[in-house]
Amino acid sequence: MTAANEIKYQGEMHLLQKDLMAKYYAEATAIAEGKGGKCAHLLIAGNPVELLRAFDVLPIFPEVNVLQIAVRHGSLPLIQKAEELGYASDNCAYVKADIGLFHSGYVTPFATIPKPDVLVCNYVGCNVYLNWFEHLAEMVDAPAMNIDIPFIRSADGEPSEADLTYVVKQLEELIVLLEKVTGKSLDWAKLTKIVELSARTGQLWAEIKDMTKQRPAPYDAYFDSVTMMAPLYCLRGTEDGLRFFEVAHREMTEQLKKARGPLPEERFRIVIEGPPPWPKLRVFRDMFSRWGAVAVASTYSTVGGLWEFGFRHDPAHPLESIARHMLAANVCNRNFLQRYEQIERYVKEWDADALVIHSVKSCRLFSAGQGDMREHFVRDLDVPTLLIESDIEDPRYFSEAQLRNRIDAFFEALEQRRVTAGKILQGVS
Amino acid sequence: MRYAAGVDVGSTQTKAIIVDERGTIVARALADTGAYLVRAAERAFQKALEEAGLQREQVGQVTGTGYGRFKVEFGDAQVTEISCHAKGAWALIPATRTVIDIGGQDTKAIKVSDRGEVLDFAMNDKCAAGSGRFLTNSAEAVGLDVSEMGERSMTAKQPVRLSTVCTIFVESDILTYLAQGKRVDDILAGVHGAIAARTVALVRRVGAESEVTMTGGVAKNVGIVTALKQKLAMPVNVSPDSHYTGALGAAIFAMERVLSGPPVTAQEVLA
Repeated sequence: MTAANEIKYQGEMHLLQKDLMAKYYAEATAIAEGKGGKCAHLLIAGNPVELLRAFDVLPIFPEVNVLQIAVRHGSLPLIQKAEELGYASDNCAYVKADIGLFHSGYVTPFATIPKPDVLVCNYVGCNVYLNWFEHLAEMVDAPAMNIDIPFIRSADGEPSEADLTYVVKQLEELIVLLEKVTGKSLDWAKLTKIVELSARTGQLWAEIKDMTKQRPAPYDAYFDSVTMMAPLYCLRGTEDGLRFFEVAHREMTEQLKKARGPLPEERFRIVIEGPPPWPKLRVFRDMFSRWGAVAVASTYSTVGGLWEFGFRHDPAHPLESIARHMLAANVCNRNFLQRYEQIERYVKEWDADALVIHSVKSCRLFSAGQGDMREHFVRDLDVPTLLIESDIEDPRYFSEAQLRNRIDAFFEALEQRRVTAGKILQGVS
Repeated sequence: MRYAAGVDVGSTQTKAIIVDERGTIVARALADTGAYLVRAAERAFQKALEEAGLQREQVGQVTGTGYGRFKVEFGDAQVTEISCHAKGAWALIPATRTVIDIGGQDTKAIKVSDRGEVLDFAMNDKCAAGSGRFLTNSAEAVGLDVSEMGERSMTAKQPVRLSTVCTIFVESDILTYLAQGKRVDDILAGVHGAIAARTVALVRRVGAESEVTMTGGVAKNVGIVTALKQKLAMPVNVSPDSHYTGALGAAIFAMERVLSGPPVTAQEVLA
């Protein structure tokens, strides 16, 4: 009934993840302390880390920093600090936590976050994020580049040649900016090598994601994917990042062979849409674990990149493949019908019983349309769907009793359909 | 004769029902929930036992439901009020396919199968706008008891249009109307219309399939039921036992366990 239900799987991958992320944050702290090195702040959605790595610029993701603070229950004071400065209560809580963090000296329990030498606003699907990076640029007095990524407008999800050229041209402008910031010229051989590492990492990650098609799924593709997402973004394109995914792949293959999953019994296979409530991650996970529900796929794990449907970086065409990743191979830049299709494929190919949509109160951009999504899956596809709401970063939006009530009722209904209790009374007088 | 009980610990009131193995209700009891949920549950259950003339040992299974379901410490199982309202409404009116319940903090619309199982449900978000508490606050603002407002609204000539369904701001809205000299019955009809509009939006999410049954204490408010019928353009059933629907559903779940042994649930497998 509690967290004790979960099988605590602590393999080499978890230790390695801890070590590698500690190393990454040590590097960040060293930059912050003026011990050398440069960094860029950029965003998760379709992140072009390969270009930054080619210039030895450390990619720093403010979203990753503040979500880790939220997991450690430290987000509210930062959000309140930003609200004191005038940020609205319904403004994106990631933005507010990062602004609050900046005004708290960028000190976190795991690192001192370095001020950016350059700001790369690589995700324009969110207008709030544009303003966020503009504010940061002014606060830290660093050059900022906004890469304009056109939304995917085609039915098949393919970017047009014009869109690709448009983004590649902007990446060439980014190269010029990075050359100016670092005082180095781009080493194309180095970029090619990095893109090759990304391609191999993407291949392993795609295979790991395929493993949850099996019963039982060897890991939870929502809650456990989180462990793998930090290396995927912070370390992609490095030898360390590749090593992590080699170890993860090996260990998940072992789990698969032993038919071991994250719970003693996999009773329900679910797909989860939307990011997790980081401030209450443990409590939220337990609400599913106690019902034996395991996520076999999630859209959240494709915010930074969508590899399971075939995309790979291409060392023969580094800039073009980075552009393609930013345009078409991440969930945020795809259109809503493609999001439907992605979830439908998860339900069918990963053989799920139900869909759970976790809507984010302080992000109307990602959450808009989720009511229609629920209707589409329930009415058109007959997939039992639960829509719940809290927040990614602000604990004030998390109503534990209400969420538990809805989640319990949802699984009670799924179970009632499955387990028919012997005699059922026919009416009551 | 074998007996089973359901105890529904709601945010405002705690309800208890005892049924026999034929499904007949043999006792109903009500207690204010207050701050001590465990005691409220015990008090309601004890009153029901007294009404039925039964000893505790004669009741085979007890199921807890409502927000305080985990505080029914003498209970054998817990089931959410969503499942219980569906089961209870189906038991009272077997043709029920859509259930509407306006609770103290939650409003829910439930799509029900012909066996009383939940097929789909929709609820308000974290905000309590348009819930039972909205009614209580509105009644207080015009100096009435919540039980009086339904009848009182039926003489309305020109219902006012409220600018909010916010449980907090409705009071200032009402005060403004009172200051303008609006009639109390017109204000109350406006309150009921606002709640009904919000509730019907929830019902549309699951699809308003006939027959529609309203459950819970608010179903006793004739003004709300009338407004719902109008906005849905459908009849709405109300059982005399509507207030006890959740507790009844819980009692039926308990009786199913008495009759066939407890069904295997995920929680028991994992326990």
